[in-house]
Amino acid sequence: MMTETTGRALTAMIADDEAPMRDLLRARLASVWPELKIVAEAANGVEAVALGEQHRPDIAFLDIRMPGMSGIEAARQLYQRSHIVFATAYDQYALDAFEQGALDYLLKPVSAERLATTCERVRNRMKVPFPAQPDIGQQLAKLTSMLEHRSQEKAKTAYLRWIQAQVGSSLRMVSTREVLFFQSDEKYTRVQTASAEFLIRKTLKELAEELDPDEFWRIHRSTLVRVDAIGEVARDLRGRQMLKIRNQPFELEVSRNHTYLFQQM
Amino acid sequence: MSASQINSGLDFLRDVFREASVLWWRFFDWLAVVEWRQLALTWFLAFMVCAPLNMPEPAFWYMIVSFGVKVLAGGKRKAELMAKEATTQANIATLERRLMEAQMAALQAQVEPHFLFNTLALIGQLIETDPPEAARVHAHLIEYLRSTLPQMRARDGGTLGKQVELSKAYLSIMQARMKERLNVRFEVPDFLGSAPFPPMMLQTLIENSIKHGLEPKIAGGTVTVRAYVDGVTLHVEVCDDGVGIDPHADDGIGLANIRERLQLLYGANAELVIQMPPSGGACALIKLPYKMMETA
Repeated sequence: MMTETTGRALTAMIADDEAPMRDLLRARLASVWPELKIVAEAANGVEAVALGEQHRPDIAFLDIRMPGMSGIEAARQLYQRSHIVFATAYDQYALDAFEQGALDYLLKPVSAERLATTCERVRNRMKVPFPAQPDIGQQLAKLTSMLEHRSQEKAKTAYLRWIQAQVGSSLRMVSTREVLFFQSDEKYTRVQTASAEFLIRKTLKELAEELDPDEFWRIHRSTLVRVDAIGEVARDLRGRQMLKIRNQPFELEVSRNHTYLFQQM
Repeated sequence: MSASQINSGLDFLRDVFREASVLWWRFFDWLAVVEWRQLALTWFLAFMVCAPLNMPEPAFWYMIVSFGVKVLAGGKRKAELMAKEATTQANIATLERRLMEAQMAALQAQVEPHFLFNTLALIGQLIETDPPEAARVHAHLIEYLRSTLPQMRARDGGTLGKQVELSKAYLSIMQARMKERLNVRFEVPDFLGSAPFPPMMLQTLIENSIKHGLEPKIAGGTVTVRAYVDGVTLHVEVCDDGVGIDPHADDGIGLANIRERLQLLYGANAELVIQMPPSGGACALIKLPYKMMETA
């Protein structure tokens, strides 16, 4: 590939989901690197990979946050053929990683000076056999897992957060924060919130496995209760432990196997 | 007599007893707080009614009982009622504090750096290519930021009309960025503009729709904001045709915030309902008591 680059004009691809950003980068590149030929523009990650494989550009400018597939994931499929330059307006963690891994990146909106510096560096890198950094694949893998891990902490959890209940033709999404308790009936599981009751097909066993065990406790073979919703636990005349839901008229039996949950200290 | 007859008879008696005890306690409460001279006036009236009928005993008993109860238990009951009143006051204070906290939390959750930096980047870019558009986006950004400040919001942000206006500023910015990937439809009748509506709820729902529903979708889609009155309930609905809700995705500070604030402001009379319609996407619906306009 290196031999090719000396003979012909270098090619590039721009990938960004926001059209104005693609326009700006194209305009800037035209002024700081007029010989560079823009062969493709992609509006999302999936398109970037497809166009990247089709046009095999020497350089791929990839926005980090794109629908379909992130710029970093796209880079993992493109880095063996194209030199990658990331672009972002704000991504603290990614920027740190770029600095450490000596990956090229641009901050949006792209200034002419910064772009000129980056282009100069890319030109120098293109002079050595490709890929210039043999460990770039590892770096990208590390970056992907790091970003995934971070988004998991923030938005995605391993536990079930929404209960889906069929109401008419729609699927009602009940946040687990609204649920006071689950109780299994013969065929269905009853989901009780402060204002409504739903029946779902998911069994109590499945729920117990999928819900956060710190959020819901099993107090009976047929009952899962939200820990925050517990008001008090008292013995009734027959000696059973009865659990009252806070501010609500519900009373649930605690079975013998689970009384240890409410032992006095 | 059959068992069911006995049962219904017992039910009836139980109802009567419950009703009587409710009335007794109401009378008790009234005695506790009524002034002595008003009580004396009712004694006088009771005698006036009973004397011509030539049976003064009921009036006499009424006088004895009410006097006794007021002297013996009235003070305690009065203190209880005052304590209850104080608790209500404290609840209102809590509510105000919570609202303030919610607004602060909303502020922090709302203006996320990503949004701010991307919008500033867009304005920077437009200054060169399309200055009038840059000025427009810039103005919308200012309006949006202002709407997220609690002090600014408190003033006159509490109507549906104002909330729609502020949401439009945010949507204009997102449309400038996402272009044809984002379509917006408002179906809010003009007459609902003056209806009271809590601040920052509509924006949160719209931002959720875009962030979790449409931005991850390659083709983008449409956000529809609909408002209508059904009986005495105002319905405000934000729907999108995006990727829908992942059952494992955290419902986030935004929705929890709305739920808590609705509970504090309207108790059981308001509700946040999240649904996934059969046609796909997600719908968030806020139901709350409908009032024509702010009443003092």
